[in-house]
Amino acid sequence: MSQVDIAEVSDFLASEISRRTGVPQSVLGPSTVLVDIGLQSLDAVMICGEIEDKYAIEVEPTMMFEYRTFGEVLQAVGELLATV
Amino acid sequence: MSKWYLGLSTSGHDPALALADESGRVAFAEATERYLQDKRAWGAAPDHVGHLESALAAIGFDPAADELVVASSWARVKANLPVRVSNALLPASDGLWLRGLQAHAVEAAGASLLRLGLAAEQPEVLRFDHHECHAAAACYSAPFADGLCLVIDGEGEVGAASLYRVRTGRAERLWRSWGPGSLGTFYAWLTGQCGFDWRAGEEWKVMGLAAFGTPDPMLVEALQAMLTIDKGRPQLGSADAIARAVRAAGAYRRDAGDPAEKGADLAASGQLAYAMLVDQMLAACVPLGETNLILTGGCALNSSYNGTINGRFGFERVHVPPAPADDGNAIGAALLAWRQDHPAAAIPVARTSPFLGTAIPRRAIDLAAQAQGLASVTQSAQPAALLAKRLAAGSIIGVMRGAAEFGPRALGHRSILADPRPRDMKERINNRVKGRETYRPFAPVIAATQTHEWFDRAQPSPYMGFTLPWQAEKRDRVPAVVHHDGTGRLQTVDQESNPWMAELLSAFERETGVPIVLNTSFNVMGKPIVHTVQDAMAVLATTGLDGVLLDDVLIEKSTSPAAPLQ
Repeated sequence: MSQVDIAEVSDFLASEISRRTGVPQSVLGPSTVLVDIGLQSLDAVMICGEIEDKYAIEVEPTMMFEYRTFGEVLQAVGELLATV
Repeated sequence: MSKWYLGLSTSGHDPALALADESGRVAFAEATERYLQDKRAWGAAPDHVGHLESALAAIGFDPAADELVVASSWARVKANLPVRVSNALLPASDGLWLRGLQAHAVEAAGASLLRLGLAAEQPEVLRFDHHECHAAAACYSAPFADGLCLVIDGEGEVGAASLYRVRTGRAERLWRSWGPGSLGTFYAWLTGQCGFDWRAGEEWKVMGLAAFGTPDPMLVEALQAMLTIDKGRPQLGSADAIARAVRAAGAYRRDAGDPAEKGADLAASGQLAYAMLVDQMLAACVPLGETNLILTGGCALNSSYNGTINGRFGFERVHVPPAPADDGNAIGAALLAWRQDHPAAAIPVARTSPFLGTAIPRRAIDLAAQAQGLASVTQSAQPAALLAKRLAAGSIIGVMRGAAEFGPRALGHRSILADPRPRDMKERINNRVKGRETYRPFAPVIAATQTHEWFDRAQPSPYMGFTLPWQAEKRDRVPAVVHHDGTGRLQTVDQESNPWMAELLSAFERETGVPIVLNTSFNVMGKPIVHTVQDAMAVLATTGLDGVLLDDVLIEKSTSPAAPLQ
């Protein structure tokens, strides 16, 4: 993905997090701390898998644990996609 | 100066080592359990000092001149991922125990080089993805270079299944599953519900017992719902579905002390649920349009299911490697390390010999042959003809010839062989030698060219990877190798890859008119397959085995029912 559509990635990520935590997408912002909204560690790993499948890239299972906030994770995914 | 690639299976269970040379040829491979004579060798180092030392001697490694590259079969330590161990199917304590063993095995890999004077500091270790190791090892022995490779096991780096497309022997991953949804864990859970212990590798018993049971459709449905298959990937079912399955299984549950038949319907239902789940995974492969399938990972040991694949889902050829479980990953790690140095090269394929382990030293045979008071000794220039005569006369003989097999199956080099025709032969072997449960079948060996005359759905099965139905009218001719459901987990033999067994089968057919021999691993229940001549002689001395063939020397008990040849 040479042209990263970060808004699309943001929507996808937010929907996955919302689906697994029950927190509405509208509440999620760049500074939302994922642990604070109840994202479980297994869900974090599973979201890595969803990202891997959706964008056909290899994602490290540790990725979601290296960043605290929604914005930080989004940036990391964006950077990963830009390198593909 | 030569460069060697040492692959280590670092799962913490079923450790093994493999050595590949500069051409990508695996020169040696062996599970640690054989050397230690400790079943599954839980927690043992795959580069165990004594074992590695003997393996290096076997390949002629020169410590003064040769180089050793070390490779591990895991990319990462599982315990470093901050995820709580799932207890949805197995107790979390089992998972924590496994993680601890894996962490130690991964972190300590290569340390034995320090002890052997082959490294001045902890050697650098190349670390490869677990499922990629499975795939590389499986491609190596495949008789084709293109197709799909499906890995299904208990646990990989992020999940328990991966699919690869194979082109000219190189496997490129199409997807991998994520999370705790695992066919291997499902089967381990089922093993426990049937009153057996997955940690002792007793999944075999479930498969054997299943033939005596009748699947209950309601139970099968409940068990199947413990996992869902999403785009080919296994995922853990909902908590409600799992609770419902546990309740449903409870009515059929067998405790360890109960008669085996009590677990038969549960085993049959679980085996069918497993089959239906893997069917869904293979059905998801159909759009890819491939006709060759390589199936590997620990679940590929399910020979009952494997035998049902060919001819379905568009697959015309199915390959299961000789060591699909984690021991085989030693080969995968060695090959991937080799490929790192040869990026343009494809992994070699069609290396069909599984005889990659320790050979027996002549001196040990000579010593055993000189032992007084126990045995009669016959050295023969035609050991196959001699053995065929003994088997036809009813003897049960342990065979130890050449290099040991790599993988869980004895394929004629470390086997107990017998005549499959007597109706009571299975019982005799169990009572006198193996001590195995009566519901477990013994395997037939047959020439590949004659398989279609005896089996339905005939196909190559050189490593006993497939169970097939016997032709109904043939079953009475070889009752000792016909399972309760009319099947046999066969080994097919051809002259090129297994000349010894091919010769034996011909000789046995000349003696009896039947081209089939009963083959079971050369061990007693609970112990690994014999490793040394002394191990073999101990089985001879402590069981009702009639004799041992050590290369070309037949040692028999003086009370053996068959008299020595004149």
